[in-house]
Amino acid sequence: MLRKFITPKPADHVGIQTLRGLIWVSPWIVGFVLFMLLPIGMSIYYSLTDYSLLEAPVFIGLDNYRELFSDPVFWISVRVTAIYALCSVLLSTIITIALAVLLNNKLRGVGIVRAIVFLPTLVPLVAAALGWMWLYDGEMGLINNLLAKLSIDGPNWLGEKHWALLSLIMMSLWQVGAAMVICLAALQSVPRSLYDAANIDGAQPLSRFRHITLPMISPAVLFNIIIALIWSVQVFAVPYIMTQGGPEDSTRFYTIYLYENAFVYGRMGYASAMAWLQLLTVLGLTAIILRLSRNFVHYRIT
Amino acid sequence: MGKSADITRRTMLVTAAAAGAGFAVWPYRSRHVRDIPSGRVVLNYWEKWTGVEGQALGRIVDRFNNSQNRIWVKRVTMSDIVAKSMVAIGGGDPPDLVGLFNFNIPQFAEAGAILPLDELDSTKQLLPKHYAPAVWNLLTYENKIWAGVTTCYSLAIYYNREHFRQVGLDPDSPPPTVTEFDHYAKLLTQFADDGSLKRAGFMPNIPNWWPHFWPAMFGGTFYDKQTNRATLVSPENIAAYEWVANHPKLYGKMAAQTFGSSFNRTFHSPQDPFLLGKVSMILQGPWIANFIGTYAPTFDYGCFAAPVVEELYDPTHPTGILEADVIMIPRGCPNPQAAFEFLLYTQRQDVQEQLATDHSKPSPLMNVSEKFIHEHPNRYVHVHDAIIKSSAVRVAPQTRVWKQYADMIASAFDAIWAGADVRSQLQAAQDRVQQLLDTSALRRKQRQSMIGKYP
Repeated sequence: MLRKFITPKPADHVGIQTLRGLIWVSPWIVGFVLFMLLPIGMSIYYSLTDYSLLEAPVFIGLDNYRELFSDPVFWISVRVTAIYALCSVLLSTIITIALAVLLNNKLRGVGIVRAIVFLPTLVPLVAAALGWMWLYDGEMGLINNLLAKLSIDGPNWLGEKHWALLSLIMMSLWQVGAAMVICLAALQSVPRSLYDAANIDGAQPLSRFRHITLPMISPAVLFNIIIALIWSVQVFAVPYIMTQGGPEDSTRFYTIYLYENAFVYGRMGYASAMAWLQLLTVLGLTAIILRLSRNFVHYRIT
Repeated sequence: MGKSADITRRTMLVTAAAAGAGFAVWPYRSRHVRDIPSGRVVLNYWEKWTGVEGQALGRIVDRFNNSQNRIWVKRVTMSDIVAKSMVAIGGGDPPDLVGLFNFNIPQFAEAGAILPLDELDSTKQLLPKHYAPAVWNLLTYENKIWAGVTTCYSLAIYYNREHFRQVGLDPDSPPPTVTEFDHYAKLLTQFADDGSLKRAGFMPNIPNWWPHFWPAMFGGTFYDKQTNRATLVSPENIAAYEWVANHPKLYGKMAAQTFGSSFNRTFHSPQDPFLLGKVSMILQGPWIANFIGTYAPTFDYGCFAAPVVEELYDPTHPTGILEADVIMIPRGCPNPQAAFEFLLYTQRQDVQEQLATDHSKPSPLMNVSEKFIHEHPNRYVHVHDAIIKSSAVRVAPQTRVWKQYADMIASAFDAIWAGADVRSQLQAAQDRVQQLLDTSALRRKQRQSMIGKYP
């Protein structure tokens, strides 16, 4: 009976077809409602309450949001995250494009180099963080030992306020492999005829890159920028393992402070308010980038 | 082979599905469950310890399980136990017993997330006279007892006796006051020919695990419960953190920045800076004896209570801070009375001494046996014991915002260590903490009025 009902027939009424479609996607709908929509809705409510997980929430209106604006640690976490996101997105975009252009050449062994560049993206975050902690070690770390061979007295990378955030930004650049692959795919789809035409016109390599390559791969670059922005604003595991917010709050990222409020200090309502501000900020930034991209991103119409 | 003998795709799928369904519904029980003797009340006990400390607790649980035939305690090792306990209790599916930290008691008690043990202790077996006074204070909150103690520790200064001898100091006469302590630290400090720090006499950030410790040496406190005020910016606390700030001046700012933090991941390992002789005196808990025994069994070390300013010096009342691991019964747990029976068992003198010995910690109880002191792996356990029983011992303020307060102090400590102004750092931390205290008090009032309205 059910089988007869869910098997589409050309003569079916649109309503019946819709119903059939909904039945087919119902497992996803149920999962989405239960595990996404409901928690999202509840987190909006919790952000308006005093809620510690241990007690029933008490409605306090916008007090959590008001408190956030007078919380100095909140502003520190905003500043740290903003610096990290800006530097990480900017540098990773430049490095990604440079690597993709470099590895787009048909050179011997280029496949191996591409694999090596991509490899770090497969390393679990915890393992990567632990490995980098040893690399950055002030006394025994490989980086400082190499610097010592050049007669440079390396800093205590993760132990000093002025170096800790920079160290995490540098580490984030290690995992540009996935973005590089996207850029590489975009590069390989640039029509050869455009370069041929430019050559005939006497265009120099830099000019070809600026006027052909960059516009043609701009949708891929835009995609990478948005993904990198979302990831960098939400960065958590690596700094939590490597520095736990220190020294002197110099790596107190937004999500670390959010986690601490939710699960260490027992302030789930406050943490929910932080989560919503974070979501709205990411949405706003994405909207701004998309709006600005109209002037820079070139979409081919085929 | 005839066609009738072929296995069709349909047959194969049906067989696989039947096998899968059979596996799913098979009444399998894990070995852990199979080992439980029938007829016992099973208690789930969440505890944080792993490794040798977890095994030590496992022996206590085994002793209890073998001592009677009504209750079976199942120990579940739990990482990130505070967060998971909050989720489990808040979600209405708590374990029967949970092992947390003493500073969790105000938060869990105020939230009604744990049972006051007074309600379960009909025969009045949990009595203050059994515990060191400071330990009893940790277990109680607003005139109710909320937890039993599993282990406790006080902090003391451990020192390298060989280093003392090298610089002409008597290793049997450790410095009792801050002035003498500073003098000793200076004598013990060594610089290399190139001016770099070779050995630190003492550095408050090696290890930087208790940045809230130092006010105890100057008579400072953090909180006035009567007025619900943070008291971080007091003359005593300012003096304490100015004393901290003097160390980078002694060692050089850069050396102080890099020397201490370069050992952040080597404590309690063969590369421990104290065992390597990189630092002569160090603030530590009693468990360090276990690590010395493992990694440097011939290491010649001593231990003394933290020095204090001259006007506070009283050898009969040594100073230090006391912290404890506690065992609590969550509200809504399936078997509160049986859980209480196990909790009571853990408070027995012989059980406490066994666990404290295995963890290399002092006993939280007033009475300790001669055997405990003499056979303890830490030959200086009497120093820790004296601190715990001293009227000058400090405990964490009983407020639910203490964890956040301690984190604010840690950030202020980092800034002060890097050269920031002491008073302004403490003032900034106090302002935020006071905001948290006020908010916490306000929310509690709101919650109480709501509960009064909707019982």
